[in-house]
Amino acid sequence: MESTEETLRRTNRPISIPTLVRLRNSKKRLKSVLASSAMTAVSILAAISLAFIPAEAQIPAYKAPRTADGNPDLNGIWQVMNTANWDIEGHAAGPGPLFQLGAAGAIPPGLGVVEGDGLPYLPAAAAKKKENFANRLTLDPEIKCYLPGVPRATYLPYPFQIVQSQKYILISYEFAGAVRTINMENHKKAPIDSWMGWSNGNWEGETLVVDVTGLNDQTWFDRAGNFHSDGLHVVERYTPRSADTLHYEATIEDPKVFSRPWKMSMILYRHVEPNAGLLEFKCVEFVEELLYGPLRKKPAK
Amino acid sequence: MRAHHAFAAEFDVNRPIKLRGIVTKMDWINPHSWIYIDVKGKDGKTVNWMIEGGSPNVLVRLGFTKDALPAGSEIVVEGFQAKDGSNRGVGKSLAFADGRKLFLGGSAPGANGEPEK
Amino acid sequence: MTGRYTLRSFPALALAALIGLTLPVAGETPLRTADDQPDLQGIWTSATVVPLERPVNLKGKEFYTEAEAAENTKRVLGISSWERLGSQAEVHYNMSQFGLDLSQEKIALSLRTSMITGPDGRIPPFTPEAQKRLAERAARNRGHQFDGPETRPLQERCIVFSTEGPPMLPAAYNSDLQIVQGRGYVAIVQEVIHSARIIRTDGSAHLPETIRQWLGDSRGHWEGDTLVVDTTNFTDRTAFRGSTASLHLVERFTRVDSETIRYEFTAEDPATWVRPWTAQLMLARIEGPILEFACHEGNLGLPHTLSGAREAEKAAEASKAVK
Repeated sequence: MESTEETLRRTNRPISIPTLVRLRNSKKRLKSVLASSAMTAVSILAAISLAFIPAEAQIPAYKAPRTADGNPDLNGIWQVMNTANWDIEGHAAGPGPLFQLGAAGAIPPGLGVVEGDGLPYLPAAAAKKKENFANRLTLDPEIKCYLPGVPRATYLPYPFQIVQSQKYILISYEFAGAVRTINMENHKKAPIDSWMGWSNGNWEGETLVVDVTGLNDQTWFDRAGNFHSDGLHVVERYTPRSADTLHYEATIEDPKVFSRPWKMSMILYRHVEPNAGLLEFKCVEFVEELLYGPLRKKPAK
Repeated sequence: MRAHHAFAAEFDVNRPIKLRGIVTKMDWINPHSWIYIDVKGKDGKTVNWMIEGGSPNVLVRLGFTKDALPAGSEIVVEGFQAKDGSNRGVGKSLAFADGRKLFLGGSAPGANGEPEK
Repeated sequence: MTGRYTLRSFPALALAALIGLTLPVAGETPLRTADDQPDLQGIWTSATVVPLERPVNLKGKEFYTEAEAAENTKRVLGISSWERLGSQAEVHYNMSQFGLDLSQEKIALSLRTSMITGPDGRIPPFTPEAQKRLAERAARNRGHQFDGPETRPLQERCIVFSTEGPPMLPAAYNSDLQIVQGRGYVAIVQEVIHSARIIRTDGSAHLPETIRQWLGDSRGHWEGDTLVVDTTNFTDRTAFRGSTASLHLVERFTRVDSETIRYEFTAEDPATWVRPWTAQLMLARIEGPILEFACHEGNLGLPHTLSGAREAEKAAEASKAVK
């Protein structure tokens, strides 16, 4: 008969009390399970507590291998498998802004990554969002190869790599060579605003918690025009949920734009192909005609 | 190549400027910082100029914050105007109205004086 | 502590500890990471007074004496920031007002007369093929330097900085980089232009030949305490010192002591130089932090330069019309 651990992994949902009782009644089994790993006890406790947490926030109890300095090992190449970059809210398929691209430029559907009922825009901000969407071809910073900011960098359709040491965790994103360094010690305030923000991180059990401030107001959350001010404050949580997946959650707080904080969550998938690695996507040269074309000696017609 | 780009291609040595104005904002950005000043012309009209400076990263590392040059400060800019004739210039020398140099001017080696002509 | 100081505060004795051929300080074992790799981690600067190429009058003299090095360092750092700008001084902001002059940076001192090693200390001659190629390129570009973005230097377009490499060379300012090591990788992040080279240390194979990258493709392995990085797969537009897509680089990083890394690179391109050449420089530890250098996002210089050129052309045409 399977251990509690195995049940949790197989079902990936809270264990019902009768099941727990059935497992517990097999005392010998339980003893050996408890004896073999402290984590199993945590699993049981987690299973009980999981039963009372809403479905979106469930993270399977999993203990990741450790780095040499004893922290959960997040090293690896990761990427999302969702369409949040098109629109972080649930959306059906739709035409893109350029008919010439046909199906290749259309918007793929997605369930959305925002928890709860829609983005809590303040009234003036809601109007600005509509305006952004209407003018996204000229306004979306992604189109100009600008640094994507946080959290958008996480769910662009390009991989990123985490290189983890004790003092610093580097995240390098394939898109535009965007890079951020998470300070794990000697936390200081953001000295200046930047596109990718100022990140201070620490470990909470199995989770890397990153507090991001000092973000400028130039980035968007997606291609649909969801935006923020320079008052944006993001708290990210990276939690290993299996050998090759992380649970990613970002809490967004921006009182100049939203009436209350809100959360997005999604899965990060590990690239497991043997030769996986980031390649260059230095997109500046792809946008020069767009940005500087009219300044050419002989502008294209 | 010293700066990120060739300043000689952007600014005109035949268009010297000396401006006194009120700072409206400073962009602490790369590859070059920008100081925006409102300058009152002889005709009484106020024109906003943008003055190009260096990467702010060293200043930030030294502890300078955005408040180091707050809006409302009165500064004097000696430099050259953009070749395209717009209200843009490079500030060879930046000083507060009372004569103090901005940022590290006057206190660091190599800061002394203009090139001899 | 800002980590910035001039020669005056650096004891002359310390010069001896920082020559290019230095061995680890006696009795001090090289630092290791938690998983027992040589530890190259930290925030470093490559700023130096040593030129890449040896002044011609110093041919054959690869090293200064301590006294000569101290005098040369004092001389170089004593040059005013205006003099250092040279011909660009005319229409340029005051570098030292922003803390961007070399004299305001921490440098790793060295007894070298040039970064390039060997009796000559200079980049080898171009091959005849390279001379022809570069002359043709110059001829094609003449009169077209301001036609459009593609005619401008990569640095001005914020694609790759001129000293970013690989190989890495000191820039005019902000020559800062950070090294972070994670399981199986060494990541090198240069402040300008926030490029991160993430190098696998398992000696894995290069990318297929058909994939070329601005920064090439870097693969690493450890030789004792030295990280050896082999880079190929450059594009034909990277053009480090006039080289081609067949540029092949080998870099070596060795932690000399707690405050210094010895960085060495060998550049080879039979289509460009008659023989490979090697340069060495010392990276000095600094406090940092590395700050974001978002180049393209704030790149007003390029459009301003192009519009300036368009204005100059209009003015030239207008004056022609008058005549």
